[in-house]
Amino acid sequence: MQYQSQSVAKLYFIAAIGLFLGQILFGTVIGAQYIWGDFLFPAIPFNVARMVHTNLLIVWLLFGFMGAAYYLIPEESETELFSPMLAILMFWIFLAAGAATILAYLLVPYATLAEITMNDLLPTMGREFLEQPTITKIGIVVVALSFLFNIGMTMLKGRKTVISMIMFLGLVGLAVFFLFSFVNPHNLIEDKFWWWWVVHLWVEGVWELIMGAMLAFVLIKTTGVDREIIEKWLYVIIAMSLITGLIGMGHHYYWIGTPEYWQWWGSIFSAMEPIPFFMMVLYTFNMVNQRRREHPNKVALLWAQGTAVMAFLGAGVWGFIHTLAPVNYYTHGTQVTAAHGHMAFYGAYVMIVLAMISYAMPLLRGRVANSNKAQVVEMWSFWLMTIAMVFITLFLTAAGVLQVWLQRYTDAPMGFMAVQDKLEIFYMMREIAGIIFLIGLGTYIYSFFVGGEEEATA
Amino acid sequence: MSEVFTKTMARNIFYGGTTFFFLLLLALTFDTMSVLPERDHRENITDQVILGKKVWEDNNCIGCHTLLGEGAYFAPELGNVYTRFGNSTDAIKGFIMSRPKDGIPGRRSMPQFNLSDEELSAVAEFLKWTSEVNTANWPPNIQG
Amino acid sequence: MSESVAQSAIAKEPLPGDLAIWFVIMAEMLVFGVFFIVYVFVRSNNVELFNEYQLELHRIGGVINTIALITSSYFVAMGVYAIRKGDVQRTGNMLLLALLMGAIFVGVKIWEYSHVFGAGIHLSTNTFYTFYISLTFFHFMHVILGMVILAVIYSFLRKGKYTAEAHMDIETGASYWHMVDLLWVVLFPLVYIIR
Repeated sequence: MQYQSQSVAKLYFIAAIGLFLGQILFGTVIGAQYIWGDFLFPAIPFNVARMVHTNLLIVWLLFGFMGAAYYLIPEESETELFSPMLAILMFWIFLAAGAATILAYLLVPYATLAEITMNDLLPTMGREFLEQPTITKIGIVVVALSFLFNIGMTMLKGRKTVISMIMFLGLVGLAVFFLFSFVNPHNLIEDKFWWWWVVHLWVEGVWELIMGAMLAFVLIKTTGVDREIIEKWLYVIIAMSLITGLIGMGHHYYWIGTPEYWQWWGSIFSAMEPIPFFMMVLYTFNMVNQRRREHPNKVALLWAQGTAVMAFLGAGVWGFIHTLAPVNYYTHGTQVTAAHGHMAFYGAYVMIVLAMISYAMPLLRGRVANSNKAQVVEMWSFWLMTIAMVFITLFLTAAGVLQVWLQRYTDAPMGFMAVQDKLEIFYMMREIAGIIFLIGLGTYIYSFFVGGEEEATA
Repeated sequence: MSEVFTKTMARNIFYGGTTFFFLLLLALTFDTMSVLPERDHRENITDQVILGKKVWEDNNCIGCHTLLGEGAYFAPELGNVYTRFGNSTDAIKGFIMSRPKDGIPGRRSMPQFNLSDEELSAVAEFLKWTSEVNTANWPPNIQG
Repeated sequence: MSESVAQSAIAKEPLPGDLAIWFVIMAEMLVFGVFFIVYVFVRSNNVELFNEYQLELHRIGGVINTIALITSSYFVAMGVYAIRKGDVQRTGNMLLLALLMGAIFVGVKIWEYSHVFGAGIHLSTNTFYTFYISLTFFHFMHVILGMVILAVIYSFLRKGKYTAEAHMDIETGASYWHMVDLLWVVLFPLVYIIR
């Protein structure tokens, strides 16, 4: 750690990991509800537990992105953070708002929550991933603006690098497209159209800039490869991400009342969305092969390579298999989508945040890298979580294929619930894989408490 | 032989390409907005349908169901539930009303939301309107 | 002397311009290639519909545009040739002529679109028009982008940025412009002529 003010990142990273644990705990709850339908009913119905699962994911990734920015921007700008106080204040506001929202989900019926937060004044609730009360959404905007102001001012007074510019651009895009969450027309079709301007333009758009910037930063630091080369390729990769991803939005507009031509535009462009992810794999492994130093933090590099590979598999390959309109006609809204969503989020966003934490946390704790012993434990957690996620994805894919077959691609289609009964074996195996993922996460958290000889400063 | 690949060029491609495709997206969005009225039959969005969408949202129905394939995959697709229930709003109302408060042992069950008759009618009308949207023949069959 | 240096550089250098533009060219060719293949596939499933509506297109306008773009490409190539000799004045003239030809393309295309859209035809009218408008409009945007690139290069040229030894931007822009031309040369017969 070169700048004192980078230490605010530590708070954000700790909160991120804590909320990650909550997310996975609720993941195992809804996984169980898929098998035993009455599990925890009516105390915690499925919709509530799922909302907690997905909202915690979003919130902890945002904590991760912000923590990463607070670490990376001062170092890239070669100056102290504009206002560490503001960063700490916003941390507590965001954490309090996030925790209050999650607790409200669990303690109050959703309709009551909508009523007491006066949702009718500006109705934004009750849409997937955007379930937060309007007041929480406004809070998110305020936190995001203060955050952008803080890192923007830091960049202004310091060195401007490609990495910090791309990171900033991605975060600005994140804030701008979040504003579409306030668009909720009475017409469901228009509602759905603009809803994707948040969801798609986040995860298949601006978040990829954030991911690319974080990956480039970790690669520069751990491989010692020339910044010029890394930044140049970063530009090419994110250019491909947006070139394919912006019109790739069409793959969400096949069956929701939007015109048929999206089937052509969406299929052609989204079919190319794997290209930037494939380039990212080549790029990461090339940089690692050309490395000019042996950084003692081996596990950070493992996460960086892992995120490239898993993002390619989850977002690229698993996205591709159901992105073409004729295939999607049958798979839309089945467990195939769930399979893709799980591996894509884990590969592209969870792992990049963990790579960043893995690189920065030892430095924030005053050492170049953790002890060999701690690193080995963290590597175990890497493999446990990653392999568990591969199996979650495979079981959900199997469930999805069978679901499509029985419910849609047959002359005598079965009803939804009858099909769900047939999928029980896959849901059972998915739950086991989910519990292994939880064990992996426990191992990850434990790795922070493993002492041992510190690595000699390299 | 070294080929030239400059950072400036890479940067130009990023900014140029992004602007280009964002403009294309805006053009397609503009076209979509102009033809949507023919597909979504917005002239049929009555006050009741609007209330129905509010009831749908206030009770987080999307947390279990899919609607036109989007949402959670825990409970049946509702975009075509009106036709699946024999083109009957009463059947939809009856189903929602009859959910047991404590669930069904060992099975998935929809919670009892204690909706008023006005709300029940509204959500049924909302689902009826949704079933009439031109969705390019999706879902593939009545089961959703 | 400078000419022989440039000549030997040409002999060694297989790809003119910045290597990065060739990634873009490959990507663009891939997108258009897929689009063309899809077009052929859809057409083969709707031959009658496509034959019927194809007749409503302005083929003469298409021919004019083909000539305009090929001529434009020729001027750009002459511009590259001139700058290699260090003739800035001539390069500028060639770029202006190329831009003029591009403007003719844009003008004719706008005239063509005003007829099509004026007749109430849009992307969703039928499958043929979905493809006709999608392909030509996507290409049309490329022509405009290409013209923006040439215009920027022209203004840099006027500021004295390029010499016989250092003029990579011009080759980069020319490569892109040739691609835009090439795509039209495939697109025009495919959509307007072939039955």
